[in-house]
Amino acid sequence: MNATKPSWFSHSALALGFAFLYLPMLILIIYSFNESRLVTVWSGFSLKWYGELFRDQQMIDAAKVSLQIAFMTACASVVLGTMAAMVMTRFRQFPGKAMFSALMTAPLVMPEVITGLSILLLFVAMGQTFGLFQERGVTTIWIAHVTFCVAFVTVVISSRMSELDRSLEEAAMDLGANRVKVFFLITLPIIAPALASGWLLAFTLSLDDLVISSFVSGPSSTTLPMKVFSSVRMGVSPKINALATLMIAIVSIAAFLGWWLMAREEKQRQRDMQLALQQGG
Amino acid sequence: MAATASSVAAANGVAKSDAPIREDYVRIDDLTKEYDGFRAVDDVSLSIRKGEIFALLGASGCGKSTLLRCLAGFEKPTYGKIELDGVSIVEQAAYDRPINMMFQSYALFPHMTVEQNIGFGLKMAGLARDRVAARVEEMLTLVQMNRFAKRKPHQLSGGQQQRVALARSLALSPKLLLLDEPMGALDKKLRSQMQLELVGIIERLGVTCVMVTHDQEEAMTMATRIAIMDAGKIRQVGTPDEIYEQPASRFVAQFIGSVNLLEGTIEDDEKDHVTIRSDVLEQPIHVGHGVTGFEGQAVAYALRPEKIKIEKDEPAQPHNKVRGLIEDIAYFGTHSVYHVRLQTGKKLLVHFMNAKRWASERFTWNDTVWLSWGDNAGVVLTS
Amino acid sequence: MIARLRKYLPGGRWAVIAPPYFWMLLFFAVPFLIALKISFSSIVIAMPPYTPLTEWVGDTLQLKLNLKNYLFLLRDPLYVNAYLSSLKIALISTLLCLLVGYPIAYAIARLPAASRNTALMLVVLPSWTSFLIRIYAWIGILKNNGLLNNFLIWLGVIDEPLKILHTPVAVYIGIVYAYLPFMILPLYTNLVKHDHRLIEAAYDLGCRPWQAFLRITLPLSRAGIIAGSMLVMIPAVGEFVIPELMGGADTLMIGRQLWVEFFNNRDWPVASAVAIVMLVLLIVPMMIFHHYQSKELEGRLA
Repeated sequence: MNATKPSWFSHSALALGFAFLYLPMLILIIYSFNESRLVTVWSGFSLKWYGELFRDQQMIDAAKVSLQIAFMTACASVVLGTMAAMVMTRFRQFPGKAMFSALMTAPLVMPEVITGLSILLLFVAMGQTFGLFQERGVTTIWIAHVTFCVAFVTVVISSRMSELDRSLEEAAMDLGANRVKVFFLITLPIIAPALASGWLLAFTLSLDDLVISSFVSGPSSTTLPMKVFSSVRMGVSPKINALATLMIAIVSIAAFLGWWLMAREEKQRQRDMQLALQQGG
Repeated sequence: MAATASSVAAANGVAKSDAPIREDYVRIDDLTKEYDGFRAVDDVSLSIRKGEIFALLGASGCGKSTLLRCLAGFEKPTYGKIELDGVSIVEQAAYDRPINMMFQSYALFPHMTVEQNIGFGLKMAGLARDRVAARVEEMLTLVQMNRFAKRKPHQLSGGQQQRVALARSLALSPKLLLLDEPMGALDKKLRSQMQLELVGIIERLGVTCVMVTHDQEEAMTMATRIAIMDAGKIRQVGTPDEIYEQPASRFVAQFIGSVNLLEGTIEDDEKDHVTIRSDVLEQPIHVGHGVTGFEGQAVAYALRPEKIKIEKDEPAQPHNKVRGLIEDIAYFGTHSVYHVRLQTGKKLLVHFMNAKRWASERFTWNDTVWLSWGDNAGVVLTS
Repeated sequence: MIARLRKYLPGGRWAVIAPPYFWMLLFFAVPFLIALKISFSSIVIAMPPYTPLTEWVGDTLQLKLNLKNYLFLLRDPLYVNAYLSSLKIALISTLLCLLVGYPIAYAIARLPAASRNTALMLVVLPSWTSFLIRIYAWIGILKNNGLLNNFLIWLGVIDEPLKILHTPVAVYIGIVYAYLPFMILPLYTNLVKHDHRLIEAAYDLGCRPWQAFLRITLPLSRAGIIAGSMLVMIPAVGEFVIPELMGGADTLMIGRQLWVEFFNNRDWPVASAVAIVMLVLLIVPMMIFHHYQSKELEGRLA
């Protein structure tokens, strides 16, 4: 759609929309600095809830488990997701392709309770029959997370891959690169930004998951969302506000950095192209 | 027929290749490519000589690109043979063929510099680093891009990108160079300059070249020979002037340039001349040479607009003249095209060089004029 | 060398297809079959807490399909109501998401190209923070002595705090807030591709702006509307966290029932049956989603 002069309608839609999205966050942040235990009454500025948060060993342990799982999930999902995206966008018909693409899109919408329950039942059955996954914990959570994250990563990567000019890959092949070399020397470097955003997406999805983890976790593997969930169920605590503020801060800084780097690169690119045009020939 | 035209063609061929001509350097036999029952390329056979620039010319969807992709190895023919220098290549993968292609959009790798792009194929071939560097340098000099070696593709203008793409596809000294719509991504001004430059480089290296284009001017300017394609089939192969002056069919005559087609039947078939009776003319057409036809055969007489003379007074010649009324004029600067309505209702197109500057010295609307042409001005088409 | 060898290896491409295919078959497709199997068994106090379906009696293998769990779901009005109420809540939330999301997606698509990505990032940014925390934020706002009530009382609009938290209204707010980006993204992807000249042509032919919207933009964005609605509706049907934290004791949703059966009652067969029935209910919307999604994914391959 072409840019036109934004109307009052567009302006107010955006203003209201962003207010709706960000006001609750803002309130959350403000009250993390509240002296009082009551989340709704302001009684003065304080950092004491941050102190409490960092003294909560359980919370810190849960965060460590979550980060570890999220990292492993993101790596595995990107590898599998890239393969799946290759299959979706580059491979012509093969037996079972319809099934393949169904398997790759269904997890996007599958209610988490169903995914969580059934994969747990799989682990139990495998434990009974093969003696695998007797001890549920980080590994089982990782497997379950990869399973639902692959679908999201596949979407991100294949949308970039289908935009990619096919003649680039053909040109490389024409110049003597076989399919493996074409992938590693041409395709992969060009879609690298999509891999990075796929990785980040899988990381945040895994870090955020409560329901599936609850099904497949074991006694020794409480993730951060599970810990937060149980403490929120107990009632509202400013400690959670402090945690939320930290998370929002990290995400915002990361997002801003990413945005800034991309904007800088785009600006440089525009300048280069302008220059090339002026020089002509 | 047309001894003059073929001698021009021969002269053309000689001028463009000093090397001994090998008739079938590239041989394509009965090549067919089907997609879901649709024949994109339909039983094509072609021979391409060593050192020539061969153009596949046709409208979009005629199968020319598919044929090119079969040569490059991106499409596997449904059946048929392709031989390059006596070796069958159908079974070879694209990366094993000694054929390189310059892509329509150039397909320069965006994450590599000009140098790296040109050196890519050499690296794939496993050449030592210093030899890659030397060859890249050589190619950069060939296309005069040395000072842009460290740039990325997006820092280059369209013309510069094309040079890099050309250098990249020539770096491996391919036995066959493929050009896919070589000027497609350039603006009109740059085109004519690059066309000649490209031909200059290709001829200097003596590389055999197959190009695909939909632009007849481009094919005529660049190619030694042209194959006209339509609906997956080759309609005619010939030098540019053979194609233009001696079209083999109504299709080719109408596809290249503009033409007046006069439908008629052979009335009188003599050794040294033929007369054709056409409903749209009062007089029969007098053709100054024999044709391989029979009396009563339905034919078309193809007459190019620039072969027709337009004047105010009745010309002295006994045949091939007709009177008409100027109905429309299209002014093109160098020449004007007159749409002349004959008394039978048929409209003929006539070119007239605008040698004089003043409109008052040219014909104008509703002028009654005489049209005439020589005995050998047109071509008799039987198909 | 390797290139030459590869040609003789059968199906190098299966090396790319197999890992993701095998993974998803094993960890995504097979589990449903196991859930289906367990839904036909009965509960026992053991680990695992269900009976096997097949049993050797003498030298015959007996297959016992226990339909009790499904009959139980059908007879107990709690479950029937939970399914119906889940569907209702999901549908209404989807509609609300569409009403809120469409104008935002439309406005972003009409921004100058340079600011579109920034605006889009601002839409997605909240979902990169924790889902739980976003729900938690609303609890603080909607509570009886929460910010909203305090604010309204301070304004003098109300005297008594409104009960919003632990009502269906809170659940709607929670779902719309949490799922809004999933509605906006596909809508934006669709709307940004529209050619504005179509709208200009409609104006030129005498359409008023709202007519042009109804007759041109809305029909053209159908694929985006469907994709977005499915992305919101299907997961919302099985939502657990939002009804658990924001709904009341009487806010029936099937995801919550499944959770209770599994974690509190430890009745794995019934929980499995609940999941299977939910899956059957969602299969049609999922197929619609898959139809649009795979077109999007495979895009230009056709």
